[in-house]
Amino acid sequence: MKLRRWLAGGALALLMALGVLVGSASSRAEEVSILMPSSFTDASADLVKTFNREHRGRIHLSLIRGPLNTESISDLAISSLLLGDAPFDALLMDVTWLPKYAAAGWLEPLDPWFDQGDQEQLVQGARLGNDYDGHLYRWPLVADVGLLYWRTDLMDQPPATPDALVEVAGRLVNSETVANGFVWQGRQYEGLSCDFLEVLQGFGGHWMDTTTNTMELDTPAATAAAAWLNDLISEGVSPYAVTNYAEAESLQAFKAGDAALMRNWPYAWAELQKDDSTVKGNVGISLMVAQPGERPGATLGSWGLSLMRQSQHQEAAVEAIRYLTSETAQRQRFLNNGYTPIQADLFNDPQMLKASPVLPDLLEALNHAVVRPPTPLYAQLSDVVQRELNGLFTAAGSADEAMSTTQQRSQTLLRAAGAKP
Amino acid sequence: MTMLLAAPALLLIAVVFGWPMLRYAWLSFHADSVLTGLEPVANGGANWLRLAADQRFWLDAGQTARFALISVSLELLLALAIALLLHQRWRGRGAVRALTLLPWALPTTMMALGWRWIFNTPYGPIEVLARSLGLGSLDLLSTPSITWLVTVFADVWKTTPFITLILLAGLQSIPEDLYSAFRLEGGTPLQALRRVTLPLLLPYILLSLLFRLAQAFGVFDLVQVLTGGGPAGSTESIALYAYLNGMRFLDFGYSATVMLAGFLLLTAMILAGTLLLKSVGLLRPLDR
Repeated sequence: MKLRRWLAGGALALLMALGVLVGSASSRAEEVSILMPSSFTDASADLVKTFNREHRGRIHLSLIRGPLNTESISDLAISSLLLGDAPFDALLMDVTWLPKYAAAGWLEPLDPWFDQGDQEQLVQGARLGNDYDGHLYRWPLVADVGLLYWRTDLMDQPPATPDALVEVAGRLVNSETVANGFVWQGRQYEGLSCDFLEVLQGFGGHWMDTTTNTMELDTPAATAAAAWLNDLISEGVSPYAVTNYAEAESLQAFKAGDAALMRNWPYAWAELQKDDSTVKGNVGISLMVAQPGERPGATLGSWGLSLMRQSQHQEAAVEAIRYLTSETAQRQRFLNNGYTPIQADLFNDPQMLKASPVLPDLLEALNHAVVRPPTPLYAQLSDVVQRELNGLFTAAGSADEAMSTTQQRSQTLLRAAGAKP
Repeated sequence: MTMLLAAPALLLIAVVFGWPMLRYAWLSFHADSVLTGLEPVANGGANWLRLAADQRFWLDAGQTARFALISVSLELLLALAIALLLHQRWRGRGAVRALTLLPWALPTTMMALGWRWIFNTPYGPIEVLARSLGLGSLDLLSTPSITWLVTVFADVWKTTPFITLILLAGLQSIPEDLYSAFRLEGGTPLQALRRVTLPLLLPYILLSLLFRLAQAFGVFDLVQVLTGGGPAGSTESIALYAYLNGMRFLDFGYSATVMLAGFLLLTAMILAGTLLLKSVGLLRPLDR
């Protein structure tokens, strides 16, 4: 414990200095601070001003501008939380962090403040990934899901099954209509886990059962999903280069008109509509393919606000959370910054639809959202999957072997970390 | 009597070194993660089984050894040349001696941040220079086969002065008379270097090697700031992996296992090196 405290010391000092800088303002009002990645603090500056004007003398909200990088901001938050005295009342969290933070006892359940009625306002996908162990620990701020982008000038409708995708993409490549069929994220990093989860769902498989800590990665469905991805590369439906593609590389290829299909997140839509995009006006949004009879899946991204257990201003912090996730805030964030809303009725809102005609497609995807395994050990388990899959794509070997190794390594990892079987 | 006099030093070593090591060893046989409520629970060696099959650990171990061996070798060669130069008498030597020490005096994080900007794509000066020469984009910090060389370069730049300092002290301890006698016997300067300087400098060389190998094998701050272990984990070191397990994954049992395994590997490496040097008779001057 001593060592942890010592390690965390530096980060805390830095945060406190930041806090002092950001703090200031009136002394009587209750001070509430929220740590967010810089992209979100920048997109919320106007909202904070309005909030502070409306709550003058009562609450003063300040946002701590954290690093942009997802992992850096988590490291910063964890360092100060390990010390037991974090200088922020709430934290904007990625969906994959929640189980870890909740299990560590750092979060205050939000159940007293948000009820069933609030939940029902949310679009299906935004209701996921906020709970741990039967308690609500996070209120969504933006929604994010994986999508299949397709070229409306090259096909009449997007492929719905794995076979249809291979058929249409293969045909377009063989006839030299496009250079590449299907581009996705095959690099050894978190994006690969997201892509795999979608395909796994489409083949009727599951990553793990978190209630019993049972891994399900050597099942026929999981092996078939891995084999399908591997065959995409070996049969030329996807270029070999996807083994080193992240989102940016896939988008670059698709935007240049060099691919018929792409797996990516909602942000890509706006990029594809810019003037420098070769495919502007020829892009449709659909869901990742699924075997006949299976439900397609869209991996849930999404950020949300959590309340810190040790916050001295919990009531005031929740008021700020409510404001930052309100309908007004969602509308403003969508129109100004393109962040996908979380409230169901906003997806049919005329003003919103005018700004983006693909909102109904996003809604459809959010209704098929799947979450990555909600376990505190997710980061390590995901690392095993990324390594084995990328190894399968880039070296000789069979999907059978790769998935059985993945299964074994994941189980050893769970046992070593003290998971109860 | 000897033991009595050594007791304070031994006690200090036991407290600052022995105790943490024992604690790590104990922790490595326990699960201590969020799943156990951050409390240690015995797990019957499961951490070590996991480590044995953990590709990431072994890859990191290889990368760490590669980094340590190559950067320390380069540093030694460079430092020897610089020390010999700084040992000669010439105008302005004092100022140059002070200047050469400068990289060593800089905090590692500062200089790593500096290099990160210098090698940045597309705005760093190196990249701009390459483009103006028509070489295209170098992507020095995002190409797995190249980026580890950048970390070696930064380490060499930073720690060569440290070895230079030790070797310079060694050079100054060699009596001038020996050289005069050697010259009198008809030896050339080059022979003097081989027959007088190097043998007498050997203890200092070995000492600095030991210091630097241990330090380079535990490299953390340089990599954390310069590359964060990337791209694609190609510069991740054992210490960084241990840090990630503890601070990011909140798995302190496994973090201790990784750290301890790194220590054991380093010990094995130094032991092997010592035996090798002994077998070729290079360690004899130290047995005095």
